[in-house]
Amino acid sequence: MNFISLVGPEAGRKPTAKREVLNVRGLSAGYGPMRVIHDLDLVVEAGARIGIVGLNGHGKSTLFYGIAGLTGWQRGSIKLNGVEVGRTRSQGPGRYTHEIVRAGLALIPQGDEIFYGLTVEEHLDSGAFTARAWRERAERKQRILKIFPPLKKLMDVPVGRLSGGERRMVSIGRGLMGDAALYLVDEPSLGLAPKIGKSVIEALMSVELGESAMIIAEQNVAVLEGRVDRIIGMHAGQLKGEASAALAFHDHGRG
Amino acid sequence: MDLWFVISNAIVLACVYGTLAIGVSITWSSLGLLNLAYGFIFALAGYGAWVVSEYFSDWGPVLLATGILTGALGGIAVCALAFIPTHDKPNFAIRGLIATLAISLLGTQGLLWWFGPRAKTLPGIFGDWKISLSGMVLTADKVGNVLTSILMLVAVLRWMQSSRRGLEIRAMMMNPHAASIVGIGVRRTSFYVMAITGSMAGLAAVLLSQTYYISPFGGLTPMIKGVSIALCGGLGSVRGAVIAAMVLGLNESLTTVTIGGRYVLITQFVFIIAILLVRPRGIAGILDKAREA
Repeated sequence: MNFISLVGPEAGRKPTAKREVLNVRGLSAGYGPMRVIHDLDLVVEAGARIGIVGLNGHGKSTLFYGIAGLTGWQRGSIKLNGVEVGRTRSQGPGRYTHEIVRAGLALIPQGDEIFYGLTVEEHLDSGAFTARAWRERAERKQRILKIFPPLKKLMDVPVGRLSGGERRMVSIGRGLMGDAALYLVDEPSLGLAPKIGKSVIEALMSVELGESAMIIAEQNVAVLEGRVDRIIGMHAGQLKGEASAALAFHDHGRG
Repeated sequence: MDLWFVISNAIVLACVYGTLAIGVSITWSSLGLLNLAYGFIFALAGYGAWVVSEYFSDWGPVLLATGILTGALGGIAVCALAFIPTHDKPNFAIRGLIATLAISLLGTQGLLWWFGPRAKTLPGIFGDWKISLSGMVLTADKVGNVLTSILMLVAVLRWMQSSRRGLEIRAMMMNPHAASIVGIGVRRTSFYVMAITGSMAGLAAVLLSQTYYISPFGGLTPMIKGVSIALCGGLGSVRGAVIAAMVLGLNESLTTVTIGGRYVLITQFVFIIAILLVRPRGIAGILDKAREA
């Protein structure tokens, strides 16, 4: 058991409420006979911005998919904002995902799972899943456009015609439309030119978290270094705690 | 005169079959379900309209509304019985196929048992008038069929374009995986999809009853035509289904006039095979990125 929490050197420096947004206990998940996540524990508190780094194939995406109920099977407890959303499940990937999303999860998946034929505007609308977000979608779209100004000109363009960087912006914008308590961002800089990737990370850092939290998975430690509250390593389906804590934050100050 | 007759018949058939094909196409691309109970929903809606015409009112709009409503209820029933229990299980495509086929067989036998083998007729819905336009005679049921089905299609497509549920359905058609990530519940959306497509089958049933009889197995041929038009147009593409419906409607009325109505299915499938040889994903299969099987 490796128990990770924010109680550490940063805890004193960051006087936020210690409400737990996410509390994962004993999560195992995988696909068919393959077990990718092994008995994983993770606690994320409100206001935290956490990086998870690890090589390809060590379970970063599967961890996110497990929290969203999208893996082939899973077991273990997942509390999102105090609500139990984990369950022991051997089939039906995605069957409960919409309930978990309604409970406050925003998953921004790797490879921009986008709807090719929808316009950018419809895309952003589709992210406004709660009744309140739907009512306020006009002003929320304005907010997204402030974070990603290049989208302003593209509102009526089908997403299938956009460039990789623009798609990533749409995908992240879609995730930011709802009232999520927890943002899971999977490899935001993957496959983008370094400059564009950097601006995408920049935009993620500029999101006001308030009472919510954000976990960013990355292979590229350098883009997260010094800009998140904490970096956790991931290896072979388990979190490797403090190993990379020295990279996060300490000698850098926050932007 | 002959040419106008062929063209006007082609347009009428295209409208009715197009409505069915778009229903098949939407169900397939959003739910991944090839709904083989569609013919049963079609027959059920025809009988629903017949019961109302027999015992309550034979006013045209009432019959159309009953057909649409029965079709929608049939769709919801098929969804609850076939889609909901199987959609998240392994091999869903095969299970869904078998479940809807079972519903179709049971349902049509049920209709046969309940209503008997004698075919029923519906009273004329659109009245008895005619318009003559420079040699072309348009009868009431032709004009009515075309207008009603176009109205229905426009209403459904407008709803899908502008409403929130429509956005959810379109999102599911394009990427079901991403749809669940943005919080679209497959189960709830599936009921909307099946009610909408069922009501389209219901409308087509009432419209086609102006030409053919209502019988327990009467939905089979329209369903085959609807599925093949949807395949030919490219599953998941509304535009493709409309084009294919027009082409195949023209084929059907030409075949009827030249070599006889009993050869329609033969020429139709030769035609479809030819199209699929040239464009394996259907007419609009490349225009729209649809769900691939």
